[in-house]
Amino acid sequence: MIGDTLLLRVDAATAIAPTLRHLRLVAADGGKLPPASAGAHVQLSLKAAARTHRNAYSLVSRPGARDAYEIIVRRVEASRGGSAFIHEQLAVGDTVEAAWPGNLFPPVRTARHQLMVAGGIGITPFLSYLAEFGLSGASHALHVCCRPDEREVFAPWLPEGANVDFHWDADGHRLDIPALLAAQQAGTHLYVCGPAAMNDAVIAAARDAGWPDSHVHCEHFGTALSGGEAFRAFLARSGIEVSVGEDESLLEAIERAGVAAPCLCRGGACGVCATPLLEGDAEHRDHFLSPTERESGRLIMPCVSRARSGRLVLDL
Amino acid sequence: MMISDIKSRPIYRDLAPEPTASGHLLVVEGETLTPALLAAFASAFGPVAPRLHIWLVGGPQDVGAHPGRLWRLGSLADVEDSLSCASRGFGIGDRLYVSGTEPFLWRVAEAAGHVGFASGQIQLHHAGSLRRRVWCTHCHSITDDVTTHIADCAGCGRHLLVRDHFSRRLGAFMGVMVDAEAPGQVPAREEVFA
Amino acid sequence: MTLAFKPDETFRGDYTYRNSDAAILRFPFPFPEDRYMYSVNIEPHTRSGPTDVFRRPFDVDEHYIAECRDKAITLERDPSRCQALPHMMLAQWDTLELLMESLAADYPAHFALIKEGDDFGSRWTWINRPLGIEQSFIFGNPDTLPCEPFEYITRQAQGDFAICDQRDNNLFMDAGMVTSQADWSLAFDVGMSFMEWHGPVPLAHQAGVFERALKFLLMLRLGQPMRRLNWTMTINPRLDTSPESYPEWGPDRASLTPDNIGRKLHLRVELQTLWRLPRSNAILFPIRCYLASLDELARVPKWGARLHRVLSTLPPELVDYKGLTRFLPTALDWLAAHDDGRELPIGIEPGIATLTPR
Repeated sequence: MIGDTLLLRVDAATAIAPTLRHLRLVAADGGKLPPASAGAHVQLSLKAAARTHRNAYSLVSRPGARDAYEIIVRRVEASRGGSAFIHEQLAVGDTVEAAWPGNLFPPVRTARHQLMVAGGIGITPFLSYLAEFGLSGASHALHVCCRPDEREVFAPWLPEGANVDFHWDADGHRLDIPALLAAQQAGTHLYVCGPAAMNDAVIAAARDAGWPDSHVHCEHFGTALSGGEAFRAFLARSGIEVSVGEDESLLEAIERAGVAAPCLCRGGACGVCATPLLEGDAEHRDHFLSPTERESGRLIMPCVSRARSGRLVLDL
Repeated sequence: MMISDIKSRPIYRDLAPEPTASGHLLVVEGETLTPALLAAFASAFGPVAPRLHIWLVGGPQDVGAHPGRLWRLGSLADVEDSLSCASRGFGIGDRLYVSGTEPFLWRVAEAAGHVGFASGQIQLHHAGSLRRRVWCTHCHSITDDVTTHIADCAGCGRHLLVRDHFSRRLGAFMGVMVDAEAPGQVPAREEVFA
Repeated sequence: MTLAFKPDETFRGDYTYRNSDAAILRFPFPFPEDRYMYSVNIEPHTRSGPTDVFRRPFDVDEHYIAECRDKAITLERDPSRCQALPHMMLAQWDTLELLMESLAADYPAHFALIKEGDDFGSRWTWINRPLGIEQSFIFGNPDTLPCEPFEYITRQAQGDFAICDQRDNNLFMDAGMVTSQADWSLAFDVGMSFMEWHGPVPLAHQAGVFERALKFLLMLRLGQPMRRLNWTMTINPRLDTSPESYPEWGPDRASLTPDNIGRKLHLRVELQTLWRLPRSNAILFPIRCYLASLDELARVPKWGARLHRVLSTLPPELVDYKGLTRFLPTALDWLAAHDDGRELPIGIEPGIATLTPR
């Protein structure tokens, strides 16, 4: 089990809702895929006309599956390309390059109870959790906050016997997050995956209720705020000056300029894109660098972090 | 003896209740409770006193003024029973504070782990004697109340050098036969963990 | 690859373990330079390397049968050498799958794995010809094996194995099969965090080595295993140098003389690899032990001379930590005769293709 890239073929593509497309991906050579763990993702290299998008998607296939990887992709309204490409251009039979699966959001198996809170399409990592908990018999509860019409979209993906509650924005149906969190026993682990505002609200409520940080987990995929004021960055080794627009990340601007930058989660969590910062004042938005590393001003995570002011010079 | 280069050696601090926690349980080894320590607890736990329970294990009959509700327990075994029998269980927002000798701290912490407490929910404060619990690497027996740097194993009788390497799970230090390489050459014992 | 096993050699009692010429030439000699340097020295565990031992995910050599038997003896005397905490069952199956698939792919003459499916619930049949085992079982169902899956497969593999659970930005040693260790106790260390189980190692903590290593390991990727070498010295070719059995092997340290040191003193090299496990997201840490006597090593002129120079430059803390204090001067005297002072090329490969017959 040694390798880094996979060539996948789109075996099936289905619109399960107007904005949701389900893909079944198999090994292009007809072989077996590496197994993956609950909460794992696969990063696809989507070769659109303007540039290659490297987007990571949670696997919704059962953990350990080796015949196919399945993902559900939401068409992002202000799509920066990846999800639009999958919805509009990718067709059955096409091949896609992918990295071997990774996992930045694994369940903690010492937990006495697994409490999951999903917002909309944020349900995807929990589908593989539920499959694992079904096999292991782990005590669990999933709370899904979504629009009422999304219930029927997600329901077929839930394993039989899974403990799932749906909540939506109507009297008697809203999820009372503080009440839910206050009622949990010692040994419970909390996982949240949804829009940034919801993630933040759940994490804040957990802090207020005295939860230890070690028991609160958030999937940061693509949820980190990447836009902000426009700024310029100079890539010292490449000798290229790039301008970073208000609604794009530094990493995206670097990629647009044709410079290969290592990356994985694109959400400031994994640390893969950490780049030496030679000059400039960074606004750190990642979850990876330690406070000391931030203070030293010598490293930046271009997938989420930006310039506080003026211009950055990167060793890239 | 509380500070060591060996990184498995825990560092103990003064207890500092976390105001956001829902319930606070302070477990105190009675024989180590001094008036000064009680005063320190009263001042530290004052702000959370309405949500504080104190379990006093053995020790003085007359405690005097204290914050929160005080319960008396006879022994460590009672603490272990009470933790596992607490009727509504413990919440994820609760905090446990333990004060006493090192073997006491870790037996309570271990029992708390069994009922779901995370290490981030537990604070440990050392008080009283430095005596150690020693785990024999050769026969895996535990020897309690060790105050010298070389001790006789209660299980196999070997002379054990007490190392600083510490196991939280066992609440014990590692003991290794001191004269394995040259049988009979046992250095003089020094009282170092009084 | 067909191996000529030496099933009767022993790692205790009469210590009949010896390396063939081929085994000496493929030895993972750990010193690329004349000076001792402590470093994390970690590199990708690809199917290549300076000697043959590096070239397969899990190396099997001529000592396979004898080592598995020695492991069984150690386990019978002390079952606590194999432990797995309850939440590690998924990682146990990961380990079994990785080892069975690797061994069957790399040594088809000796091992075979027949699967009726890849998912939990599938019937698998495992054939281990050197040990005469054929076992059908249901992948994912521990009741269909004679013991738990981690113990089952690691009893059939050379070297030690630890599994680290990853949680709370840390690694916890929550399972292990440890019968050929360099003086650390699984029964004491099981459940410890990364910093705790490395607690007794001198110097490296101050240098920040473990902080960097931990951060690196937390990001270890599936499909991209890493490796490093570690070393110490052992008197007699003894695999079980555990603290548990220290009363048995401790006195050996005082038994070395200028006449017997070439035969009795062994360089003990651990080829440590690190694997992200696919289904559990845990990290498998195999520690494969290779032993070669000074006599055997000195038959490679580059290694005899280099070992002399490296041991001459060891910091005193490491001499103590590795337990070399009693016999280091005797070893240096012996090795000096094999060091003519000439310049040695950088790197750990032997630099010769055959050994001069003795």
